[in-house]
Amino acid sequence: MQCINKLKMIVFNLWSALQWYLRPFIKWFLRKTTQLCELQRICYGDKAGSERTRNVEKSLMLSRTRDVREIVSHLDNLVSERRFSPPIFREILDPSIAIILRIKKINPKLHPSFVGSFRRCLEQIWCYRSLLERVEELRRTQFDSNNDEHEEKLLLLWSLLVPDVELEARVTKQWQHIGFQGDDPKTDFRGMGLLGLENLIFFATEYPQVSSHVLSHSLHPKYGYTFAVVGINITSMAYYLLKDGSAKTYMFNAKQYLPNISLFHRFYCYLFYEFDKMWIESKPQNIMEFSVIYKKFENAVRTELADPASVFRINVEVDNI
Amino acid sequence: MMGLLNILKKLRSSPDKELRLLLLGLDNAGKTTLLKQLASEDVNHVTPTAGFNIKSVLSNGFKLNVWDIGGQRKIRPYWRNYFENTDILIYVVDCSDHQRLEETGQELAELLEDEKLRGVALLVYANKQDLATALPASEIAQHLGLHLIRDRTWQIQACVATDGTGVKEGMEWVCKNIPTKK
Repeated sequence: MQCINKLKMIVFNLWSALQWYLRPFIKWFLRKTTQLCELQRICYGDKAGSERTRNVEKSLMLSRTRDVREIVSHLDNLVSERRFSPPIFREILDPSIAIILRIKKINPKLHPSFVGSFRRCLEQIWCYRSLLERVEELRRTQFDSNNDEHEEKLLLLWSLLVPDVELEARVTKQWQHIGFQGDDPKTDFRGMGLLGLENLIFFATEYPQVSSHVLSHSLHPKYGYTFAVVGINITSMAYYLLKDGSAKTYMFNAKQYLPNISLFHRFYCYLFYEFDKMWIESKPQNIMEFSVIYKKFENAVRTELADPASVFRINVEVDNI
Repeated sequence: MMGLLNILKKLRSSPDKELRLLLLGLDNAGKTTLLKQLASEDVNHVTPTAGFNIKSVLSNGFKLNVWDIGGQRKIRPYWRNYFENTDILIYVVDCSDHQRLEETGQELAELLEDEKLRGVALLVYANKQDLATALPASEIAQHLGLHLIRDRTWQIQACVATDGTGVKEGMEWVCKNIPTKK
């Protein structure tokens, strides 16, 4: 088994090296035969959304042209300085697009649709990168019970999920009703920090019927589970899918939205809703089956995300209208 | 031919001994962080354990199958389902959680009375020693009444699961106190 894996690795490495050397020749050949540069071929040939944007990103990242590399690092810098924001997209992207048009010798008058679709790809790629930063920042912010803002958010979550019942105290067994582990939720957010809380609040705010439906499932006498704790584990899944790039399929195929924190929250809601469905359908004996079903669910999601054509039409949204 | 077979056998042969380690303790004690630390994984992204986690770790020529069971009160009744064939019991205590010292003591006392865990060696990790409010291991030992234990070997080890301090020392004790049944 190990030998086979080693062999696979060697073949893979050889193939990558070969590709690295052959790429310029293949590109040159296609350029001469099609009269189009690679970016044009992608923007004209690939389906808008995940497929096109991923390929544009790959092409830019593999480019050995100095100007292209500079554009990439310029945009990355804007992201890390948090200056890549929608109102100034034109201002930011126009110069970069102009450089690409110049070095690729593309006449915008002859290729007006290229500019539009290329711009859209750039927006998606760097919005995704900004989102990564934003999500990481929220995750790294530990829930702090001395912080009034954090405390207010926690209380808000309760009032959203259980509007008819008042909390008797800040530290109370009641928290277990919405699936925290003990009397005080503050230690339950762990490594997901504020991100876990924000995810739950968004779910309860934007999809009140769905979240209360899911919460009621979690209180089922036989198939019940701990709502908030499971929710925080779903946050972890969403976070990893975003980080390793799997979530690009979801983010880039969302036509009306650019990747931003709300879209991440929506992704989370989708995952939580679908997980709940799978959990109930699995008829688990008890909560100890969680890790198995969680893994099974993650594999199913990953399979779906691996198909660039996947569109996550959230049933949740339909429910809500 | 024989040579090749031997090589194959060696390649496939698992370490000499396989051990079952059971990680228990209240919620937020640090069991999952400890598990990740043992497996040399990232400890910054831990989530509360719904159910259980399991990992196999190679250590000093032993294959350690470590079972990390959720510590929430609701889950504790299921702890018993994992007792069978346990070689070492590892009990994790959050030394800064003064309010629940009694609760953690009670849970441990119940574990030690269980028939299925009779004679199983006990390692207590006195975790979160990096926190200013953490009680020292000696005080934890007293609270838990460890010195009254007569029917098994035990050890208490101060540790900081998040950065690994003291974790290795505990595992060395574990490897030295492997039951001789196999």
